[in-house]
Amino acid sequence: MASQNEVLFAKDSVYIHINVQDTKDKDAHIAGRVFLLHKAEGNFIEWKAEEFLNLESQNEEWDVIGNVGYRNEGSECVSMNAKMDSRRKYNISFDVLDLKSFKRSAPNHGWAYIIFILKDGTTFPALHFHNGGSKALLKELENFITIRRSPNDQRLFLVQDDDPEMLSKSFNELSLFSDSSGAYVQKFVRDPNKGMHKKFMKDPYTTTMGGFSKVTNFLRDVLMTPDNNNLVRPQSEVAELLHDDIPGMEISHMDEPGFEMVTKTKLPPRPEVKRSDPLTAQRWNSFFDAEGCIQQVVELKDIIFRGGVDPSIRSDVWKFLLGYYDWDSTAKKRADHRKRKVDDYFRMKLQWKTVSSEQERRFTLLKERRGLIDKDVTRTDRTHKFFTGDKNSNLQVLYDILMTYCMYNFDLGYVQGMSDILSPILVVMENEVDAFWCFAGAMERVCHNFEMDQNGMKVQLSQIHKLMQVYDPELCAYLESRESGNFYFCFRWILIHFKREFHFHEIQRLWEVLWTDRPCNNFHLVISLAILDNEKSTLMENKFGFTEILKHINDISLSIPLEDTLRKAEGIFLQLKEYKKLPKVVKEILGLLPVPTSLSMENSMTSSSLQDLKSEANSKVDTPQLMAGGASSGTGVHVNGSRSHALGNKQSSVVMDDGSKILT
Amino acid sequence: MASRKKVLLKVIILGDSGVGKTSLMNQYVAKKFSNQYKATIGADFLTKEVMVDDRLVTMQIWDTAGQERFQSLGVAFYRGADGCVLVFDVTMPNTFRSLDSWRDEFLIQASPRDPENFPFVVIGNKIDLENRAVSARRAQGWCHSKGDIPYFETSAKEAINVEQAFQAVAKNAMAQESDVELCSDFPDPIKLKDDQSKPKEGCAC
Repeated sequence: MASQNEVLFAKDSVYIHINVQDTKDKDAHIAGRVFLLHKAEGNFIEWKAEEFLNLESQNEEWDVIGNVGYRNEGSECVSMNAKMDSRRKYNISFDVLDLKSFKRSAPNHGWAYIIFILKDGTTFPALHFHNGGSKALLKELENFITIRRSPNDQRLFLVQDDDPEMLSKSFNELSLFSDSSGAYVQKFVRDPNKGMHKKFMKDPYTTTMGGFSKVTNFLRDVLMTPDNNNLVRPQSEVAELLHDDIPGMEISHMDEPGFEMVTKTKLPPRPEVKRSDPLTAQRWNSFFDAEGCIQQVVELKDIIFRGGVDPSIRSDVWKFLLGYYDWDSTAKKRADHRKRKVDDYFRMKLQWKTVSSEQERRFTLLKERRGLIDKDVTRTDRTHKFFTGDKNSNLQVLYDILMTYCMYNFDLGYVQGMSDILSPILVVMENEVDAFWCFAGAMERVCHNFEMDQNGMKVQLSQIHKLMQVYDPELCAYLESRESGNFYFCFRWILIHFKREFHFHEIQRLWEVLWTDRPCNNFHLVISLAILDNEKSTLMENKFGFTEILKHINDISLSIPLEDTLRKAEGIFLQLKEYKKLPKVVKEILGLLPVPTSLSMENSMTSSSLQDLKSEANSKVDTPQLMAGGASSGTGVHVNGSRSHALGNKQSSVVMDDGSKILT
Repeated sequence: MASRKKVLLKVIILGDSGVGKTSLMNQYVAKKFSNQYKATIGADFLTKEVMVDDRLVTMQIWDTAGQERFQSLGVAFYRGADGCVLVFDVTMPNTFRSLDSWRDEFLIQASPRDPENFPFVVIGNKIDLENRAVSARRAQGWCHSKGDIPYFETSAKEAINVEQAFQAVAKNAMAQESDVELCSDFPDPIKLKDDQSKPKEGCAC
């Protein structure tokens, strides 16, 4: 039977971008071939994945879906045979007479793609023509149907129908959900009482299920549709759903470049931002009262944000910034606190120090960690004078602190990148115990980056994507079209907060700025935007693809101008803040929402006019923060509003450190 | 016909943290060695033009982080690999024992057309060190059991055998490449017919 098919047109290198970034996702793009076939039954457009026949890979894809919060209990939308569904959804076959409309990609946004939409509402995933051929296919298609361009949407093409009234009616239904999966569109269209829009709002999970890889498009459509007044849920809740509940999906909504609503972003102009000189020793000392208690913490942090800290007082200031000392502690309290922390440290150090080699043979986990730390210590910043030389004793200190951190946070253990975080801190502290506790404080801010499931990283990379969608839709679309919409090329930036991207003295400056949590907790993500903004024309005018983008971003390491970048990043933050139509998700990332809980209290307040409110907030913040961060593996992704309290214990004290240098 | 095409071979280096993946890559591509390579974070690659059987080939050699938890994001880079270099440290038996899972994981994630004959090469690195703990025989035994994977003992530091190991993976990848090209040169209708009648079986290649 198949042999009777006549191939009227065929084109290779036509891809479906599934884009669900997950451990099991073997392929963000499915390669395939598109056909126009003359069959006995009629003329068909078909697309077949190269991998379609690979049963194993299909199972994996199914697993991916299972990981993203798919509930199948009692869901009416879950098909009986999910595997079949997931398999089927990637293969396309339809009679050209069933075609209702199609959407083409915006010109000059990477690979051309076509989204076919059938009369019954079935909407296929975009077919991306990596090697051209979309025009040729459409030309062939015109032999069988009449096509006209939508007067309202340059990208939309409509198939002329015999019954124009019906056409427009059904199109109205469809246009709302132009990118969503046919499977459930069909389902809901058949249910006249509900309508799929409402349906989705009522039961997003169920609905989500039916759509698999297309769900994010659907969500995005719903989110970005400006005038849907009849939402059962407020839009904000849906935003949260997308943001929180299906993190695996988060990173995935990066297909279909040039999404329309987004490309209309018009931000207010970027304000001129000034940076200042670092906080001097003299100025710093002037902040202490007679009891050694810091006055006007907010102003102090503002100064640090604006210009950093003079190297001579870094080791003092960082202890506060990293939560080793409480901001509101007296000198006396700090002295007591420090004493306890010294004991605490050596207690934990003794724990691993006293594990005998015989014991360790039956303690694989500890042994493995020891091995990893061993390897990394010998290759951490060895060109810095603090760590040069074969028999440098500072390497031992680095090692001891990392091993002790393993005991302090055994659940997390040692993960590569931690030595990068510790090294600048140790260099500043020059003291093992102080460095340990400051390191522990710094880790509280980034520990979610190192967790086993890498979810913290995935969330942040997808947050960069969300920010970029608003800040620069053009660049965003470009990156998406180059398989870079997952922003994986920013991985190193985020994992160790740009440690490898700036010179040693610059990273110290950058980190102390970030540790002020100004203008928001996620300023490091805005810095990513600023750097990418600088690289935009390079990436786009060179037409860099996935590998070239990654390479280029890796290669600009150590050549990024820090102060310019900080200025630009703050400017971008202010632009976004002033933008009237800033999506809620983005506001949330930037800490611009009115604060529902005490946790994020501090985040949203950056202007000094809010000082009073703020000190009030601080006291509220303490408790949960202590719980989340105090001891072991605080998992909260970025609630670090008042990190300063993370390590807890209000009793702190003594000013500046005495000289108990343990460095040998 | 195929020889006129520009050939790009994507080769992935895998192995436990600290076995010398970055060093091997740099030794092969840039002919240099440093004690001070940092632990790789994320992924990076270097390219090198080489002659393989009288054809000019661009090798794109990918270096990824060795720690297990970073694999979840790193697998994106396995995609489209033409060859894979599995590295262990001859002084660390556990890095040798990990080869199984590195190979398995790679085959799962990269899903090559022909996993049985996918061009792997195994490298036992750091033979310049004195405290060897994995014998060549043991390593060869493993390679043999996995379909006669070529085995090389190298020192990235002393530049011993590095060239040969990479040359081998390039050569084998090229051999596969031409098989694949042969396969995809079937006229479209024929392939289509096969696909349509037996949608659940492996492709003709």
